[in-house]
Amino acid sequence: MHLETRFDTAGWMRRLGKALATPFDPEDYLALFDARHSAREIRARVHRVRREGDRAVTLELAPNRLWRPHKAGQHVMLGVDIGGVRHQRCFSLSSAPSDPRPAITVKRHGPGGVSDHLVNHCREGDLVTLSPATGDFVLPEAAPERILFLTAGSGVTPVHSIVKSLLASNYEGQLVWAHFERGYHQWLLGESLRGLALDDRLDFRLVLTGDTPRDGDQAGRLNEHWLTEQVPDAAGRTLFTCGPEGFLDTVIDWHRRHGLAPLFHERFQSAPASGGDGGRVRFARSGGDVQAEGAQSLLEAAEAAGLRPKHGCRMGICHTCKCRVTRGRVRDLQSGARRELADQEIRICVHGADGDVELDL
Amino acid sequence: MNAKVEELDPIILERGGTRLTRSQVEAFGREIDALREEIMNDLGEADARYIRRLVKTQKGMELAGRGLLFLGVLPPAWLAGTALLSVSKILENMEIGHNVMHAQWDWLNDPALDSSTYDWDNTCPAEQWKHSHNYMHHTFTNVVGKDRDVGYGIMRLSDEQRWNPLYLFQPAYNWVLAALFQWGVAFHDLEYEKLLKGEKSWAEYRVQRRKIMKKVRKQVLKDYLLFPALAGPFFPFVFAGNLSANLARNLWAYLIIFCGHFTEHAEMFTEEEIVGETRGQWYLRQLLGSSNLEGGPLFHIMSGNLSHQIEHHLFPDMPSNRYRQAAPRVRAIAERYGLHYNTGRLSRQFGTVLKRIHRLALPGRRRANSAPV
Repeated sequence: MHLETRFDTAGWMRRLGKALATPFDPEDYLALFDARHSAREIRARVHRVRREGDRAVTLELAPNRLWRPHKAGQHVMLGVDIGGVRHQRCFSLSSAPSDPRPAITVKRHGPGGVSDHLVNHCREGDLVTLSPATGDFVLPEAAPERILFLTAGSGVTPVHSIVKSLLASNYEGQLVWAHFERGYHQWLLGESLRGLALDDRLDFRLVLTGDTPRDGDQAGRLNEHWLTEQVPDAAGRTLFTCGPEGFLDTVIDWHRRHGLAPLFHERFQSAPASGGDGGRVRFARSGGDVQAEGAQSLLEAAEAAGLRPKHGCRMGICHTCKCRVTRGRVRDLQSGARRELADQEIRICVHGADGDVELDL
Repeated sequence: MNAKVEELDPIILERGGTRLTRSQVEAFGREIDALREEIMNDLGEADARYIRRLVKTQKGMELAGRGLLFLGVLPPAWLAGTALLSVSKILENMEIGHNVMHAQWDWLNDPALDSSTYDWDNTCPAEQWKHSHNYMHHTFTNVVGKDRDVGYGIMRLSDEQRWNPLYLFQPAYNWVLAALFQWGVAFHDLEYEKLLKGEKSWAEYRVQRRKIMKKVRKQVLKDYLLFPALAGPFFPFVFAGNLSANLARNLWAYLIIFCGHFTEHAEMFTEEEIVGETRGQWYLRQLLGSSNLEGGPLFHIMSGNLSHQIEHHLFPDMPSNRYRQAAPRVRAIAERYGLHYNTGRLSRQFGTVLKRIHRLALPGRRRANSAPV
């Protein structure tokens, strides 16, 4: 019998490091020298900022060692400090997994907020945080031979990652990609796409909905007519689509009636319906739900539903009752402030429902 | 005031010559609420910079201190290393750990400074401390029988506590508690006396004890075995340095905390007094039960801003760097309502704490009316 006697040096060093740094982690001390060090989260430095027209940027990121390469088409929650406070938004990775650094491409959506900050104020060397990459908008294990990509606006980003990684591999199929854009000024990743389009395996069309097309590009709008005319074999192609709500609805509707191959779509988060005072409180772990009054705290609502959440002072000072809101709108019962939350912790004794809320209870 | 009006708006506070009616107490509460609102709405980048810079400074001092202790065979290096480690432990426990675990920095959304995940460099596990301190002590401040910080189960610090002969020795074991303060804090959560009275089950006790011992083992291993062992032949120097730093942190924390609630004029309350308490009454109790310490900016930071104990008790989840700004406003409000704002220099306040400890070692009560007029 062979006995494994090799001494796990790295493992013991890690344990020693943790024991010396307890109750913290060696990473907390290494962060003094490079702020990317962290024991709990992926922190990345902005390695390069590339402007994409006047209202968007591509950020190349240099993450710490907790980062694991993504699958083409996936997204991350990116966190950035604005006014000292960490704000998070979801972005598709526009880089291919084989690229030296992960990158996101961000279009400014309006004043304030994360996209505005990233487009107008983000500098090389800034620190951001990333969640692990997630999402099912990815190619199947064996890439289909014929694929049709239909994208509009920011929907270009995950597909850019997918197409770029396919073309970098020994893929032997045939790709058609139609991207719909208002005009050249708004077009994201244009330069990179022109480069990819030189590959014989990709038939790329840029379709402008509000600008005069230049050589090779066309004007038009996505509808049934456009598809049958421009992509005669569309029905037989595996379909990947990403874009604004209306655009997606058109594609999905077309696919339901004509599609013969699978459909993959990525819907960017949309604003939920606004709520008045009170609302439906759902309990993610225990399954039930209850209607809460405007003046009722979420803690009281949970108790009314027969749950016994952990709590203390019931007046907002001790934070014993802090609970994760998976998604929903809440109102601070003390200040009256309304907030939209996703995966954030609040004190349920001093917050009420302001529309639908889902609690991790 | 005629009887009818009094019935509608009865006097609900009568202490030390100050009488407040129900509506006055509620108006007082609203003013404190408004002050809280104003400061909380103003939080931003400067506050974030403050706490992040402080964490960096503290961690840097800790590394430097532990580094110097490896050269502890040289007396100046030992002294400097011990001093740096002491200050870093004090900063971490008081201005960072205590305040982070109060959720003062949760609004940053930074997992490294979040009350639900932070644990401090202290033998008391964060989870238990948050229960006994954030909930029991801050909700039931100075309520004898509820707030276990009143004497930590071993000392008589209020007239309301029944005397027994063991208290005769409290002037002496007070100093033992001071020297071992982190251990006192860790083990007072076990609530031995409740166990003896049968209010707590042995099973519950054992679970808690196991959690405390797990943390204790890690803390002891780090400071008294691993770091000294890394120094090889200089083991004793590192050991002594770490022991001294923990002792210094214990004494300092004890000093600041005892001055927060057990000064001469800090008031105690009974469980009957807090039945049906409103937010205004709660604020009032926090004000009357706490006492401040005067000093410069560095002193405030070193005390974890618990030198602003009154403001900390009114606003336990307000970032501590803002207490200085709130203090003069709270004082002005208190004075307008004829309420005593208990503040003084450390030496004077601690003198009155010692007086209380010595007086209550003996049976009987302190002077009937100890509040100033």
